[in-house]
This record gives sequence, structure tokens and C-alpha cells, in this order.
Amino acid sequence: MTSRLLDIITSPEPAVRNQPLEAVCAGLPASELLAHCDELETFRRSHDNLYQRVRALFFLYAIHRFHLPPALPGSRALIPYEAYESLLGRRFEESIRLLLKTQAAEGPSPGLSSALAAAYRSLAFQTLADQVRRSVRSVAGNRWMFRTGHTADYPLRLRPELTSPDPATGLFPVLRETTPVRMDLSHSGWSDIFFLGMDFPEGARVLNISIDLTVRRPGAKPQPPVESYLRVIDEPVLRLTSVDLGATVDLHTIDEVFDFAKDYLGLLKAAVIAAGLVPSGMEGAARPLSDLFAPLLGSPHLGLELVSKVNDIPKGSRLAVSTNLLSCLIAVCMRATSQAKSLTGALTEEERRVVAARAILGEWLGGSGGGWQDSGGVWPGIKLIEGVAAGEGDPEFGISRGRLLPRHTVWTEADVSREARERLQNSLVLVHGGMAQDVGPVLEMVTEKYLLRSGAEWHGRQEAMRLFDEILATLRAGDIRGIGDRTHRNFHGPIQTIIPWAGNHYTDGLIERVRAEFGSHFHGFWMLGGMAGGGMGFLFDPDSHPRALDRLAEIMPALKRELEHAVPFAMEPVVYDFAINPNGTWAELKTGADALLPAAYYSFAVPPLVRKELRSLPPSKRAELARFSAACQHDPSLSGAVEQLFERLLPRAAEDGPAGNSLPRLLAELGFDTQQHEKIRADLKAGRIGLAQNRLPASTTLEDAPRPDILVPDPRRSAPGEEAIRAGTVAVVTLAGGVGTRWTRGAGVVKGLNPFHRMAGRHRSFIDVHLAKTRRTSRLFNTTLPHIFTTSYLTHTPTEQYLCRLQNAHPGPVLLSPGRAVGLRMVPMVRDLRYAWEESPQQLLDEQKQKVRESLHAALVAWALSAGEAADYTDNLPMQCLHPVGHWFEVPNLLRNGVLRRLLDEQPRLRYLMVHNVDTLGAAVDPAVLTAHIESGAAGTFEVIDRWVEDRGGGLAKVNGRLRLVEGLAMPDERAEFALSYYNSGTTWLDIDRFLALFKLDRYSLGNETAVAAAVRAVTARMPTYITLKDVKRRWGKGQEDIFPVAQFEKLWGDVTALPEFDCRFALVPRRRGQQLKEVAQLDGWVRDGSAAYVEGLCDW
Amino acid sequence: MKPKKAIITAANPRQRSLPLQTLIDREGLERTVLEVLIEDTRRAGIEEVAVVVMPGDEDLYRQSLRAGDEGIQFLPQLTPPGYAQALLSAEAFAGREPFLHLVGDHIYSGGGESARRLLDIAAAEDCAVSAVQATREHLLPRFGVVGGQPVRGGRSLYKVETVREKPTPTEAEQSLVVSGLRSGYYLCFFGMHVLTPSVFRIIRGLTEHAAGPVSLSAALDELARQEKYLALEVGSAHRYDVGVRYGLLNAQLAIALEGEDREEVLALLVGLLAQRQADAAAEGAAAK
Repeated sequence: MTSRLLDIITSPEPAVRNQPLEAVCAGLPASELLAHCDELETFRRSHDNLYQRVRALFFLYAIHRFHLPPALPGSRALIPYEAYESLLGRRFEESIRLLLKTQAAEGPSPGLSSALAAAYRSLAFQTLADQVRRSVRSVAGNRWMFRTGHTADYPLRLRPELTSPDPATGLFPVLRETTPVRMDLSHSGWSDIFFLGMDFPEGARVLNISIDLTVRRPGAKPQPPVESYLRVIDEPVLRLTSVDLGATVDLHTIDEVFDFAKDYLGLLKAAVIAAGLVPSGMEGAARPLSDLFAPLLGSPHLGLELVSKVNDIPKGSRLAVSTNLLSCLIAVCMRATSQAKSLTGALTEEERRVVAARAILGEWLGGSGGGWQDSGGVWPGIKLIEGVAAGEGDPEFGISRGRLLPRHTVWTEADVSREARERLQNSLVLVHGGMAQDVGPVLEMVTEKYLLRSGAEWHGRQEAMRLFDEILATLRAGDIRGIGDRTHRNFHGPIQTIIPWAGNHYTDGLIERVRAEFGSHFHGFWMLGGMAGGGMGFLFDPDSHPRALDRLAEIMPALKRELEHAVPFAMEPVVYDFAINPNGTWAELKTGADALLPAAYYSFAVPPLVRKELRSLPPSKRAELARFSAACQHDPSLSGAVEQLFERLLPRAAEDGPAGNSLPRLLAELGFDTQQHEKIRADLKAGRIGLAQNRLPASTTLEDAPRPDILVPDPRRSAPGEEAIRAGTVAVVTLAGGVGTRWTRGAGVVKGLNPFHRMAGRHRSFIDVHLAKTRRTSRLFNTTLPHIFTTSYLTHTPTEQYLCRLQNAHPGPVLLSPGRAVGLRMVPMVRDLRYAWEESPQQLLDEQKQKVRESLHAALVAWALSAGEAADYTDNLPMQCLHPVGHWFEVPNLLRNGVLRRLLDEQPRLRYLMVHNVDTLGAAVDPAVLTAHIESGAAGTFEVIDRWVEDRGGGLAKVNGRLRLVEGLAMPDERAEFALSYYNSGTTWLDIDRFLALFKLDRYSLGNETAVAAAVRAVTARMPTYITLKDVKRRWGKGQEDIFPVAQFEKLWGDVTALPEFDCRFALVPRRRGQQLKEVAQLDGWVRDGSAAYVEGLCDW
Repeated sequence: MKPKKAIITAANPRQRSLPLQTLIDREGLERTVLEVLIEDTRRAGIEEVAVVVMPGDEDLYRQSLRAGDEGIQFLPQLTPPGYAQALLSAEAFAGREPFLHLVGDHIYSGGGESARRLLDIAAAEDCAVSAVQATREHLLPRFGVVGGQPVRGGRSLYKVETVREKPTPTEAEQSLVVSGLRSGYYLCFFGMHVLTPSVFRIIRGLTEHAAGPVSLSAALDELARQEKYLALEVGSAHRYDVGVRYGLLNAQLAIALEGEDREEVLALLVGLLAQRQADAAAEGAAAK
């Protein structure tokens, strides 16, 4: 008999197939859930159908992640280290086998289920990614590139029109390709994700418009935003140049082309490979490129130059600029090698499809990914792009329901009249809101929810499909107001039903302000791409359109200024001018005296040349310089080129890096301890401290904490705690000095202020949530809990300003405890980089992404060596060069900065502090936990939770006989952590007097600043110093970002448990109370497993 | 009816002298490439041969013939130049009958046999037939290529649906894949065709609309759309393109190794290698 779950997976009936997992699993006991898991496991191993297997994997993931843990109270089988190691090494099947073996032997546990969930989920995504990769490779026209492994088999020839220099000028002809970008008028609920299109082709539809674009400014006219140029050069190299990134490289060997992350030219390299110019099959060949140029160009002494140019469009525009640039580069290479029949003008439909398939391949090669509509700029005008069911003869037939490549139907003026097109142009304000976004997690969430058919989200998708049909109809009717109404409803309805994080506080604020100002003249908001906040559209009455253009250029920066400490912005917001492009990608051949590259190219290509002896330049370069010089005098497109050239040749006096003079000033203001910094630098260089030295000695005896040694608060026993709260003996301390390094990948915003989730109808920040919990506790116990937020130099002022604005909303006392310590980041030691990448367990990435990562690692090692190991890191904004020095300091700071003394003066009955991390959203003043602390009589009680697979970074252990918290950095080896049952939640209950005693202080001596400072220094000196690597973003250009691993030191709060005179206990609390939100990717699971609702239940709004 | 006429094209301005290059045939006789080709046609049963040459080259070609070959016609290439136009120059010669067509810069091992088979098939099927060979994709830049379906019943016959001149592998994968062939292999022209007179009408039509030379492949692509057109895979035969680097040398060696002078040529090659090795050894000894 097949189970209902297998029926759901295999049924041909949509009504059965589209049922959610919850329809079967909700409320089942563990035994029945495990029986379902057994069936699903057998099924997925024995069935070939890709999507059935993948759906079974997602079901298994969801049962282990969401349904089993609450059904398994009290079970604590540990995750075997070998299974974790296999998981990191992407050996998912092996990991699952080991975990199931442990489950069979020791019984199920929430920890094992968490690891199984991670393994099943990863295997599901890996299976899907493998299928897309196979499909991309099997697209007709792409296969030969994977077969061509030797230069003798190279089959391409450059078109003769390009191979001979002009006899009069000596210049080789230049092939120029220009391509519009695309916007998606429908949003379509991310239905352009490959996995969706291949499983649900009937639901995969988008309305995609090719547009020319410019950032709005006087005199600027919309033009195709991306351009590429190809020409023969008389040097046997492949010269790749990105004009907008100001980067150029000469490649000499084939394997250099496959080194994607070595420089900023990875996209051009991916294009060269995806176009077949250097076929994929040649990866790893160390042969000179001249071996290819001989057959390609007819001479081993010639080479090729490929140039890309993005016309002033910032990164993250949600207009698929990079995919269309990739397509543009691929198209120009294909034309040049006769793979497209048309050397100039438009491409045929068949050629466009090959370009689109190759762009998918190029994105995969470069380790990035997009949707199947992204290369829409290759096609002209307005087009409907739809998923297509796989038929006999398609490589996907029998494997997936849909084809990899969709169908494009270009709409003529009979479909959408010229007037309607103009009206759309005259109504829409297209903007980039400036927010930095990582849409990767969103796309995974969408895929997961689709495959699970989660109830609300699946209905949201149906609604999005209905709205899509309405958008098509309103566009056909030329009803722009109607379009605005639908796109607005789409954003506020289905899109945010499927992914609540598609919207955000900033976007809501913009819409609110636009609505307030324009009223009924504002027709609606339109979201572009994966998340709001970057590329967005606002539709207006055509009469209001000019004013709306001006006003949005003011509203966006104003709101950005208000939120920039809370929300990660990558750039200043911009408003675009756009026009619908009627051509799609288009090429022209520039010959004779016109065979020049764009003016910006010469502004950085010429200076190195003019510094050389003229006669040492190849003849073509000399000819080009002469021609460029002549053209500058009369060609209007080169106006300003000479000034730019001089700017490059004679740059203004260099400053001391981006940090300039303000960094030393800032360090002085913040009381930076130069002596300590130099000592750390000396220790780091000498190898006395470093990642390897963070670890406890290998001889350390480290055992799991015995269960009887752990306090387990009893919810039924809470009276002493309640009484203590009522009596005003408790205050809350939230450690809020951090900048959410993992939350925003080093973007440097105040994590506590990030409005991360909508609660009670509004986006709420971490600080909002913590205050709301304090309000509720105060109300329940008829008291006023003081709430202290510790800050650092990075977070203090924005937090202070934010709390000032909240003053009336929160009744109790709110205090700030400003941080006193600051560090200056350093360039890492290569030894530490290698340790982090090679000797610490790392999550292996998907094959191609891993190659890109390894290439990036090599580049970062080169950076560390050239910048100087352990040198001060100053090549960034001053605030990004500094670092907080670990949360150890945040608690003693309460003593040093007088905050605790003032509080005790005002509230002498105060006796207990609940200290918790800003990430720990479930931490509330719980009377049962407080009772356990009071009754234990300890100086400090540290909350721990059962370990799940994602809980990395230490735990509770018996170290040489003493029970204490051990930081992950200090674990003697990787395996040790997996023997520990409990993970540190970061929440501590402190008995104030006994804590002061640790410093040999009491309430009365807190007023003696000198004594306090000496006491804190003495205890601090006993705390270990850890070296860590943190990712820091460096922003440049137009929304470009580099991420550098920099070294910094930390002292951590948990190590206080190692001090023998500090009497501490450890209390096991429920996961929902103790878990920390560290990464945006955790949000979805946090909502779905009920944690969000749990936290909301602790709040008063 | 079995075709009795053959047209050989030798008017490519860059290869006009190739057919006149001399080599030693299988019998050990000194012959020009053209003479070898004419001999192949005779063995296949062809009675009349026309060679299309560059205008002004007629006498040069005529003089190169041995006694007994006087019946060969030399026809000047009409303008504009181009492969297909070269064939058109022999339209009057061909009349309204199918004809055998060979290119002047190839030599075939067993060429007579291949031509005979081609003529037999054309007569039996009453249609145009081109000889093709399965060829690896890296050689696509050299040939015309056909796409189509195997004819039921085997005999290495294919129904031609598409013809492309020197396609890229990208295009070949999209429109020229033939079932039954190894991946990465395509049916490339062998340089030997039996064509129907319709091809002349098609070439005229294409020439009218073309700005430059028209390839024979373009005309045959159109022919495939208009009438039955087959391809015969000549798996065991070999062709030698004398127009490529060392092409003539390669062709000469191949012919010699198949013919009466095999031992002599082998001895020559072994002698050359031995001499080279002895020289190298002597140089090594002198260096010490």
C-alpha cells in the first residue's frame, strides 16, 4: 500500500499532486512521521523520475526540520562528526546514510533530524542544479564545446571581414554589439526560476520588455545599457577589458581563461568560454592561446580583444544587466566566428535562443545564476516568455515536465499599440532604490515552497497567475492605470505571501510617501526581480509623471538617510530614463577610420602606452593612437576624452587610501589603544596568536556535560522568579554593539536596528522586539523593567537616535551603555587564511562555484601578500577599518562607563541582570528560568540549548574537570564540538553583587573610576585573545562590492565561565528561547517552525 | 538511365593549377591530377567529360592531356565567379540529363568504384545523390555538410533534408545531426555528386539574388527542398584534398602505397628515416 505522501508525489491528478505536506503530517506522532520518512527514503532511492525524487527529498527535509523536532522531546542522540564532515564535503548520500544509521542505533533526536534536514535539502538542490547543468550542456549547439578537448580539434574560424587591417589606417575592423536590458512587467512570482519552469511550465510565464536606459540627468538619452566590442590585435594574447570597471588583462594560456575570480573580468571570461571561443572541454589545458589563434585567426601571431561597457547602470538594478552583458558578449563572439549568420543587425530567433542558452551556461561557469527570462534583452520590444512542456526529441523529455529554455513570443503593435507603449513610458518611473541585496536565499525559499506546495504560498502562486493574466489584458487594452493596480496588488498580495522578505521597511516607506504625495495620481508600485529596495517601478498618471521623476529623486535619498544605519545600502538611489527598445541585441561593423573603441576605453588604455617608446608599440597600436588623436579633434562622441586622459595621466595628489586622514582622527577620538594594537600585531606576525593558536591545547580533556549537572527550569516552578521581577530586582541587558557581519555580509549596518520582519503589521527591528518583550513583562508583573543596550562606536549614535525617536513608545527606562574599546583591522596573515580555508572544515560548494571560490582564494592570498601581512587595514571607509573587540568588553563596560552605578543608584533593589545577545530573539525575562538561577545561588547562570547541526561555535563542556562554555574558536579539534550535547544560547543571568565580586568590587566601589578601570583591566588580562577573520565589504564604482577577509581580535563573554572563582551554572532552555538569528537565510525556517509566532507572543506592541 | 556525362570543376582562381599537378599513379605512370580523375570517371562508365576552368586556361589544360583524351571539353567559367556558377557554366554540356560531378582538387582511392556506386544508386533511385563521409566536427570548416534521415533498408543511404556550407559546430548540432552517427560526427561531402539538371535552374535563381559567389551547398539545400535527393555514405573510400598544405604529397604517398610501387616507396621512406637517425647520431657524437 502506498502512503498518502507517495500518492501526492506520484499522482498525475493536479488536485492530488498539489496538496501540501501538512495535509498529511500535521499533528502526527513521531512514530508515524518516521514511518513516512522510511517510505519516502525507499521511494527516492528506487525511482528515476527526477522531480519525484526531488519532491520526496523536500518532503523528507520538511518532516525532519519542522514536524519531527517538536514530536521528539527529550531525545538527545548526537550528530556523528563523520556525517557532518560528509555534509560539508557535499557527500550528501553518505551523510544521510551515517545519520540514519545513528538514528537506527540510538533513536531519533531533534539534533539528528536537524542534520538530516540539512542533508536532504542540500541533496535536493544539488539534484536540481545537476539537472539544469545537464540540460544546459545538452542544448543543441552547446554540446560540441564540451567535447572539444584539444587544440587540434578546434573548429571555429573568425569571419574574414575581421581578420585584415584597413590598408589606409592600419586598424582592424571592430565589431560592436549593443544590447538592451530587460524589465519584467509582471514579476510573476519568481516563476522564471529554472526549477519552476522545468517542473511547472504552465505556471512559468513572464511579460518581459527590452529597454534602453540612462541614469536621469540633463541631456542624457536612453541608450542600450550594455555594449561589447571585438577586434583582432597583432599580439598573440586574449585581451579582456571592462571599460566601466577600469580593468584589463592579457591572457596568454588557455587555463588562464578559466580562472574566473582572479580579477574583475570573470564575466568576460565566462562569455569567451560560453561562446565557444575557448571551449569548455579545454579547461585545464596549459597550452598557449596562440594554439587556438592559429586556426581561429589564420596566424599564431595575432590575438583578440574583447571589450565590455555598461553605460552608467549601477549593479543590482534588477534589470538583469549582467546577464544581458553576458549575452551581448556571447553574441559578438558568436557573430565573429560565424556561429550567428548575421555579422551585423539583429539576430534570428534561432540565434537568439542559442545566445540565451549560452548565457545560462556562462552564468553557471561564473558561479552565478539568474532566471530564464534574464537574457530577454536579446529579443526586441515586449515579449511573452513562457515555460514549455518537454516533448519527444527534447533532451529534457522523460526527465522533467518542462524544457530548460522557454518560448519567446514577441508582441507586435497589433498586440500592444504604439500609443499604449508610449503611455507606459510616460507613466512609469523606474528607479534603483540603492539597497544591497542578496537574492540567493530568496530564490531557494521560492523553490522549496513551490516543491512543498505549502498552503498559503501555493494559493499565492495561483493568485499571481490570475493577476498575470489581468496584466496581459490591461496592457493589451492600453490601460496603464489597470497595470499599476495589478502590479501593486501583486506586490502586496501574492509576492509577499510567497516570500515575506521580498518587501522591506524601506520600500514600504517609499510607497507610503509617494502615496501621501500623489494620492490617486499614483497608480501603483511595481517590484522588479528577487527583492524590493533595488530596482523598482512606480506608475503615475502621465500628467504627474514629470513631477514624480523629480520627487522620487528627492524622496529616496531622504529616506535612505533616515535608514542607512539600519538597512544595507550599496549606493545612492537613482532615477532612470528609459525607452522600449525595438531591436533587441544589435551589431554594427566599424571599419576604416571608424574602427575605434569607446572613448572611455582610451582614457585608461592610452596612459600606459604614452609612457612607452613609440617604436616599441605594435604597428596597430601606433595606428590606433594616431587615429584616436585625430578623432578627438572632430568626433563629438569623443568630446571630453582628452580631459579624461589628462586626468588619468596626471592624477591629483593621492590621498592615504579611502580612509584618508579621517581614520587617525577617529582612532584618536575613540581612545584607540596603540600600544595594545602593536602588541597584537607583533604577536600575530610572530605566530604567537592566530587561528591555530586560538585552540585549547590538544592535551585538554574535553567531555560532554553530564545531564545531572545541568539545571532544567520547571515552568511550574516560577513563584520566586515572579516575585523577584515584581520587586524590581531585574534589568535586561541587550548586547547590541554588533554590525551583523553575517546578517549583511559585512555591509556595516547596526544589526539591532535592522527592520527584519513584519510583526503586528509593521516591519520591526531587533531592538523593537527586545523592547516589546520588556514592555510585556513589565505589564504582566506590574513593574518597570529597566532595559540597557550596550553599544559600540559603530552602533552607538544610530541606536541613540533611534531610541530617542521611540521615547514615547516605550514606558520604561532605556539606557545606553557605550562601548569603550575599539580595534583596527589588519590585513590577514596568509597562514591564517590558509588555516581557515584549508584546515578548518569548510562547506564545499557546488562544483563550479567551488572553482570560482578557489580562484578567489588565490587572489586574496596575493592581496594579503601585496598589502603586507598584519599591516593596518585602511583601504576602506574609516568605519569599515575599525572593529568591535568582542562581547566580553560589553559587560565590564557597564562598570566602567557608570551605567550600572547610575542604575543601582536609581533602583537600589536591582539584583539580577539578564544579559543576552541582540540575535537571541526568544530571550525574555522568564520567571521559571530566573527561579532556577535564584535557587542555584550561582553568580551567573548561562542558558544552553540542545545542539542542532547549524549550532557551530562551541558549547558546554567539562574541560579538565570544570564545566564551562568553550568557544568554537577554542575547540582543540573540529571533532570535539560534536561530542557536546549543549550549545551556548548567549543568554546569562547575573547576580550583580557576585559578579562585582569577581572584579573584587562592590556596589559602593563602583564610583571609584580608577579602581573600576584597574579591576576590569586585571580580569580582562586573564581572558584569552582570539584572532578571527571577518568579511568586510569594500564598495566602489557603481554599486560594485569586494569582500575582503580581514583579521581582528576578540575577547568573548563565554570565557568568563572558565574563571575558577566565578561560580556559574548552566540551564537548559527550549530552542525557541535560545536560538539566535545570525543569517537572513534562517528567517524562513524561523517563521515556519513557529519561532516567529513564539517571539511575537512574548511581545506587547 | 545511368548518367554518361561528368563535369569537373577546376576554376577556383586560387587553385587553378592544382588539377595540373603531376603525380605517379597506381600503375607507376606519371599523370596529372586531372587525368587521374578522368580515369576514375571512365572506369565508372562515363563517356563524356567537361572541365570548367578559368577563362584563358583552356589551352593549358588541353595541352596537359595525353593522347587519347582529346574528347574532353574545357569550358570557361562564366561570371560572376563562384562554385555554383562554375557548374552552371557546363549547363549546356549537361543538357537535360543527370550528370556526375567531381571537384578538381581531390583525388580518391578507389575513386572509380565510388563513382560507379554513386551512378548506380542515382539510376536506381532516379534522383540526385551525393557521396558523403562521416567526418569529425573539427573538420567542418572545410566541407559542405548534409543533414537528413537514414533511408529505411540501409545501403548507407540518407534522405537529405538540409545542406550547409562549412557550418560551425553550433549550427551543425542544431540542424545537421544524423541519427546513427557517433556524436560529433557529421556527413560531409566527399566531392563527388550525381546531380539532376534542376540544379542549374536553382543556381540561376540563387545567382540572381546573390551579391557574390554562390556555394554549391546553398543550391543543394534548395534542391533537397524541391526534389528527392539522397546521400551515399562511402565509408571505406578515401579522398585526398590536394589543395591543402602537403595535400599533394599526402595524395601521392597514399596512391603509391596502394599501387605497384608500394615496396619502392616504403623503402624510400625507411631510407629517409634511417638517414635522419644516422645524421642525428653523428651530430650527437660530434658534440661529445
